[in-house]
Order: sequence, then structure tokens, then C-alpha cells
Amino acid sequence: MSGVVDVSARIPAKLTFWQRLYLPEIFRGMAVTFRHLVRNIVSPGRMPTIQYPEQKRNYSARFRGKHILKEREDGTLKCVACYMCAQACPAECITIVAGEHPKIAYEKYPVVFDIDMMRCVFCGFCVDACPKDAIWMTRNYEMAFFTREEAVFSIDRLRETKAEIDAHGYGYRPYYPGDGTTPPTDASRLPVVPGSGERDALRQAGVALPNRHVGAGPLNATSQAAKFTA
Amino acid sequence: MTIATEPALSASAERLRGRLAGSPLAARCEVTDRDLPTIEVAPDAWPALARFLRDDPECRYDLFIDLFGVDNLRRAGQKTRFETIVHLHSLPRNEHVRVKIPLTDEKKPALPTASDVYPAANWFEREAFDLYGFDFTGHPDLRRILCHDAFVGHALRKDYAPGQRWFFAEEDMVAPEWATQTDERAGHFETQTISIGPSHPATHGIIHLIARLEGEKIIRAETNIGYLHRCFEKMSETHQWNQIIPYCDRLNYVSAMINGVGFVRTAEKMLGVEVPDRGVLVRTILSEFSRVMDHCVCIGANLVDIGALSNFIYLYQNRENIYDLIEACCGARLTVSYVRVGGLAIDVPDDFVPRCRSLLESIPLFLADVEKLVNNNRIVRQRLQGTGVVTREQAIAWGLTGPMLRASGVPYDVRREKPYDFYDRFDWDVPISNDGDNFARYLVRLEEIRQSLKIIRQALDILPANGPVSSDDWRVVLPPKDAVYHDMESLIYHFKLVMEGIRVPPGERYEWIEGGNGELGFHAISDGRGGPYRLRVRPPCFANMQAFQKMVIGGTVSDAVATLGTLNVIAGELDR
Repeated sequence: MSGVVDVSARIPAKLTFWQRLYLPEIFRGMAVTFRHLVRNIVSPGRMPTIQYPEQKRNYSARFRGKHILKEREDGTLKCVACYMCAQACPAECITIVAGEHPKIAYEKYPVVFDIDMMRCVFCGFCVDACPKDAIWMTRNYEMAFFTREEAVFSIDRLRETKAEIDAHGYGYRPYYPGDGTTPPTDASRLPVVPGSGERDALRQAGVALPNRHVGAGPLNATSQAAKFTA
Repeated sequence: MTIATEPALSASAERLRGRLAGSPLAARCEVTDRDLPTIEVAPDAWPALARFLRDDPECRYDLFIDLFGVDNLRRAGQKTRFETIVHLHSLPRNEHVRVKIPLTDEKKPALPTASDVYPAANWFEREAFDLYGFDFTGHPDLRRILCHDAFVGHALRKDYAPGQRWFFAEEDMVAPEWATQTDERAGHFETQTISIGPSHPATHGIIHLIARLEGEKIIRAETNIGYLHRCFEKMSETHQWNQIIPYCDRLNYVSAMINGVGFVRTAEKMLGVEVPDRGVLVRTILSEFSRVMDHCVCIGANLVDIGALSNFIYLYQNRENIYDLIEACCGARLTVSYVRVGGLAIDVPDDFVPRCRSLLESIPLFLADVEKLVNNNRIVRQRLQGTGVVTREQAIAWGLTGPMLRASGVPYDVRREKPYDFYDRFDWDVPISNDGDNFARYLVRLEEIRQSLKIIRQALDILPANGPVSSDDWRVVLPPKDAVYHDMESLIYHFKLVMEGIRVPPGERYEWIEGGNGELGFHAISDGRGGPYRLRVRPPCFANMQAFQKMVIGGTVSDAVATLGTLNVIAGELDR
């Protein structure tokens, strides 16, 4: 249950003579600031300020920084160009153009996968939306650009590299081992059994296969992909 | 335990119907019972109804909450294309009422102003004029407020295409007429008009105050806002329900968590989805921590403005520690995006409870330091006591809510008056003051921080140690990843949710919570698509800022700076 408390009634509205004299209160105040000063000198580790960029803030394993595209064990991207991250993105910063993979087992792959880091709001919705565990985030927050073009990261800058993970570490991801949730067994981690060009063989044999070249995805990806298909 | 359900409203609707039946307005209005008692009234009868609702001893709807427009162009089954919706609150009776005013003339929508009955309606009517083109006849100053003066069209109308680019120059701004005139009277040693802002360190954001000075005294003032307008409401109409959450974070960016909670509660009520206790309590805990941050920023920045820097550092240290906790939960410090419709994005980390408890220990230490420095300091007292005074009557008339209203002696706190979530189980007090000056607002905020910590302590005590934080309704919440990777049915739910969004049943609903600065309400209209048809946010700052130009008159420029600090205007929320 909640009541009401009058805060002004607790504090005398008028200052006492000693308080009006000003100097005693000033010394009392300086005692507070001096205590903080001494404590900060004695134990500088307690200070909340850090000397960036020499010293960097320690972020949690959930930090939402630069994205990475995860790979299968054979080095291909896990991404199947389903456009779900592009659709989930509230800032509409992901551009995907899907292609037909020569290996029939892989079916689709992203020919273009661009993230405009200037538009991105780092909300992590793409990570939540991915059904293939293909996009994660890292703790890398140092992305500065000189031009707008530079800020559009393509697959070569998004693909996971060991150097980047060693330097920054993984950030926001769909699940957290040791975090209270059981990590799911990740089916998309393993390489898909290679199809060794069956589709091409079938085409050469004259089998009518549906043309599954996908130029643009649904909804908001359409406008962005238009410039690539034109 | 589930989210508290509101009591049946039919009694108040019934009473309203009875009171209206005895008045000459009976033929012009129709009372229905929805999520709130709703009165539908013809435009020309609206001022009379407003006066009746305010003055009738059985109604007493004295606090003006919100006024906004709706464009029904793409919504089936509506009588008129345009309508105006007004929300009022009755402090003596503690209930909300909604007034709907369908505007019959589609080409030139017009209705009489109510700003003479409710002075707070002034800016809200200007906003409806700006974004919908409603002509409020008799309005004293009907100009654009959020969009630039040279803007053409009305941005929230459904036939206004979003994505157009406009380029405006400073010269296109229309200065108020009195600001361009010189007023030289005999015996005056100096009269001048000055601009404070838009980019001024004391405005904490981009706010423009034009002030006419007589010596050092402000004799006339006007605030220009809208510099940070980024079409939150228009953007909401083109996004899915969950996609709006990152936009909500940027409303009041000082206490981002509270905005998200307010928004998803509206959607959850419309869906009828229940959030598990653990999810609700984590939301409550982080919301209260956000409120602590909000008040720390307000007090700290306000004291910096009047020259006391150390407090700023001590209070911001609290904020820094709370940000660390929030970042550990959701991965971002400022723009949290942690809530989802139906629960939370992910569970809190393992060490959540001990971290909260250590914060509960450390925050009061800094508050004690601030109190030692400030409370009996003669300079602070002289700068804050007796300046920016708002009386109880003025505060109600100007539609103030939150700490502003409580510092003027009205104990209106949504957490107490309409306890949502678990607030009715906690033992805490609403701090008020009867002075209504800047010092009272400082004291109220300081005490509110302590009360918030009290609430957090009790919430931690009843927080279930484990369990789900989100609903298991897969039409609303994404299924667990393990299921999505392996199970076809889960993948289908996942796909439908991501691609189409949450299908909220058609209808409309207003849900309000206590934000950092007052009543933060979200009025959502759904037409059954994946996103809202119209989303109105009731920003507490907007009404507070409206009062500013009246509060500063008679004071000095330095008083205006101190007053602006205690208003705690967050431009992201003010301009949306």
C-alpha cells in the first residue's frame, strides 16, 4: 500500500543562523568533496571514468556491436538469404540479394549481404529473427568512417574472422551458453552434404527445373534490392 | 499472479450517462463503454461538454491529459474520415474519460477550441492542427508547432506520403510578431528581445526560448519546439509492433526502459496476452532503476546549471552503475530494446539479483553526499526557493503530471492511482510538496529516487528465482531457438511472426503508466495488420514544456535556467 509524504515539511524552510553564515556550510561541503578526492587518489580503480582510447570499457557478452556472419564448418556462410533479418530490421539497413548456389544441397546463398552501419540502430532484431544462426553480433563498437560508402559493410567485412573475435569477443547472439539457457544443438553448423552440381547435371539432361533465381525479397527489401537487379 | 486486470468500467460510464441525461447536452452526445468510458460528441457541442465535464460536481474531469487526431481514410467501418480524441482525468474521482469528436467536414475539418476551458489544450490543439490540419476555431495562436513553419501539408494524414525530403532555412522561420516589434516606453532603461537556444547549454537538448526582457526580468516569453521532431507516430504506422520498440527507446532516452514497457503493455492488453511474473518484475525493477537515472540526470544537470558541479559527478556515478547493469541484461546502455510484446528479449544474467542489491547499497551513499552539499547551501536555496512557482490550481490547469504536479501538492502518481503490474503490493510513499517551487521539485525527485529503491528492494524479494520471462504464446513471442532450428512448426510460427508481425485484433486502447516525467500514455489503434494503424504517445514533457513560457514570466533569466532544469524536458520525448 502506498501513502503520501510531504517532503518540504521535513526540511526547515528557513536556514538557521549558522547556515546563513555560509562559510560553515561551505566547509561542510568541502569535507564531502575532499573525501571523494582522497578516496579517488588512494584507490583510482574505484573511479568510474576510463581513459579511452588507451583504456577500454569492459562490456558484457550481450553487447550489441558490429555484426558478423557465421560460417559452416566448410567455410561457406550459414546464411540462406531468407530475408528474415532484412524484414525484421526496424531501420531497414540490411540489403540482401539471393543467388542459387551451384550445390543443390545449399540451394540459396547471399550474393549481396550489406549492412548500412550508418542506418543500423544496433537493436539485435536481426539476430533474433535469423532461423539459421547465421548472424551474430560482436563487442566491436569502434567503427568510424570518412565516407557514407565506407559505412556499408559487405560480406567480406561481415564474415567472421578469428582476429576480430580475439580482439573484441562475441556479443549479442541467439543463445547464451552458461547463461542459464541451454545452448541448442546447432544443425546449421555442420556442412551440408555437397550436391556436386546435380542441378546442372539435371538441366543438361533436359529436366525442366523451376527457375529459382531470386532477385528481391519480400516487402521492404524490394526497394533496396531494385538497384542490384536493374 | 498475472498482470492486474482493470476493474469493470461500466459503473462510471453508467454514471456519466445519468449525469449527461439531465443536461441540455444529452441529445448531442452518446456514452459508450470501451476500455475507457467514451463520450462521442458533435464538434459544435464539444466546448460545452468540456465545460460540463470540468465543472459538474459528479464528473470533475479537471486534468487535461491528451488531444490528438485520427485519420480513418484506410480504416473500414468508421463514420467520418477525421476524428479528434481527447483524454481527461478526474483527480477527485481518479478515473479517465475519452471524448471522441468525429469531424464531419472532410475537406476542411474544423472544431471549436477548448483551450479556454482547459488551458493545457493549447499546444495539443496546435499539434493536431500541424499534423492533421484540424482548424480549431477560436484558438488564440493556431500555428505549426512540431513541423517547420514553411512545411506544406499535414504529415500524419494517411494520404501524406512519408519519405519526402524537405529543406528549410532559418529565414523561413516565423518569429512571433511581438518579438520583432520594439516596445520603448518612457522610464524604461532597457527593453530587449533575446533568444535562449536552440543550442544552448542550459536547454539540454534543442529548445528555443524567445524572451522579452525588461532589465533582467522576463516580461514575455515563447518557446519554439520541434527541432528534434522525427515523426515517431508516422514511423509507427509503417512498422510492426515489435519494430516500434527501438523507436520507443528514443522518446525519453534518459529512462528508455519505461517507454518500451508502456508501449508493449498497450499491445499486450489488446492481445490479451499474459506475461509471466518474472518478466513483469524484471520490467518493474529496470523501470524503477530507469526512473532513478532520470531523476539523477535531472537533479544533476539542474544543479550544474546553477553552478554546483560536484553533485553532477556523484549522481552520474549512479547512472553509470545502473547503465552497467542494464547493459549486462540487454547489451546496450542507452537504447535498451529489451522488452518485447509478451515479455522480454532474453532472461536476465545469473548475477542479476546480487548486482541489483549492490546498487541498492551504493545509490543512497551518493544521494547522502548530494543532500549534504545542497540542502542547506545558501546559494542553492536562493536560486531555487521561490523561483518557478506553480500553484496547485495552475498545475492542474496546465495539465502537468509527474514530479511537477506532485511538487505542487497533488499526489497524482499513476503507480498509486491505477496500480499496474505489481505496484499495489509494494509498500511505498508518493512524495509531494505544497511549495510548488524549484526547490520543492528538487526535493520531490530526490525522495522519489529513495522510494524507487524501496520498490526495487520489495520487487527483488518476490522475484521468482527462475522461470520464463516471456509468454509461451507463439503467435506473439518468438519460439525458442532450439525449436526453430529443428522443429518445422516452430519455424513456421517464427517465420509468420517475423515476416507479418503480431496480429493484434482490431480495436483501440489507451494504456498509461508513470514515466520519468509524468503520465506516459500510448493510445494504439489496430486494424488487424502486423503493425498499428495509429499510435499516439502522450508525452508528459509536452504539457510540462507548455507551462514553461508562463512560469518564467516575472522572473529573471537566471531563474528561467533553473526552472528549465527542474522541468526535466527531454527533447526526444517532447518533439517525438
